[in-house]
Amino acid sequence: MKKVVKLVLLAVLVAVGVWLWFFLFPSPEEIIRHRLEKLARTVSFSSNDGNLARLAGVAGVADFFSTNVEVNIEVPGRMQHSFMGRDEITQATMYVRSKVTGLIVKFPDIDVTVAPGKQTATADVTLDATVSGQPNAVVQEMKFTFQKIDGQWLIVHIETVRTLS
Amino acid sequence: LRDRQNALKLLPMTEPNPSHAAPPARKWLHLVAIGRNPKMTCLRIATLVVACFVVFNFVLLPIRVTGISMLPTYKNHSINFINRLAYLWHEPQRGDVVGIRYAGIHVMLLKRIVGLPGETVAFVHGHIFIDGRRLKEPYEKLPCDWNLPPENLSTNEFFVVGDNRSMPPEDHTFGRVERNRIVGKVLL
Repeated sequence: MKKVVKLVLLAVLVAVGVWLWFFLFPSPEEIIRHRLEKLARTVSFSSNDGNLARLAGVAGVADFFSTNVEVNIEVPGRMQHSFMGRDEITQATMYVRSKVTGLIVKFPDIDVTVAPGKQTATADVTLDATVSGQPNAVVQEMKFTFQKIDGQWLIVHIETVRTLS
Repeated sequence: LRDRQNALKLLPMTEPNPSHAAPPARKWLHLVAIGRNPKMTCLRIATLVVACFVVFNFVLLPIRVTGISMLPTYKNHSINFINRLAYLWHEPQRGDVVGIRYAGIHVMLLKRIVGLPGETVAFVHGHIFIDGRRLKEPYEKLPCDWNLPPENLSTNEFFVVGDNRSMPPEDHTFGRVERNRIVGKVLL
């Protein structure tokens, strides 16, 4: 019985060690995954948010993108937009916040692929956006391209992916 | 006297001392909750938990249908499962309702396969034509008047569409899908 207890304790210790290692030294995939989750939280807002929180949210969105970011959104039959640079992203964020009372953005699936040099990465993402007052969520597959700039993984390109062609 | 002695001897066996035994109701509850052998019960529970985890994460994916594109076959907010092993031994067939993944399997499209690889699919006045021949669709109950030019499917593509075509084609998600996006077949 003592042997069993020792083995269990050893297994728990190893598990904690592995978890601690990955917590202290996360892989690029994990960093990008966390950044995308944080981006979703930053973009989301509710009607209860105060003006200061809204302004902070708008300013925070720009931090995820590189200065020369390019965004191409094409949802057949619904919309087609292109944005260039952080300023346009900020303006678009402000426009959405002024037109919509609430928005909840989630990325339920994130599939990250890091290039061999570990300086660029792509993330295939399922976007699930719920606008306040609308019964159905907008679901769209998107592709994010990241680049490591000054030690930070920043978004340099976003495009929509056509799941059914 | 003999009868009284027998009665005294038999008493402990037929009616145990109430101070040492649990009341019948509690005993029954204990039996149902833990069983006669607690170790075996724990083992059974652990096996059941592991089996449920494996089955519902890797084999039968529970889904909740959202939207009206599969009406009247699958109603909004209905619960179902996607069988991931359905296409282990054979390829998807025409008429199968399948789950189609986006970037992952947490959100999927639910559509019916109408066109198989290598075929030509067209819509004429709401009817589907496969390689120029009209497809019989007993599952389609709602009228539609879609007209779409013929589309050739490659060797790796299927054509999927929802059962509810009463809406304009612009509002309905349908089209060609690659084989690797088909997660599995709807169970029920």
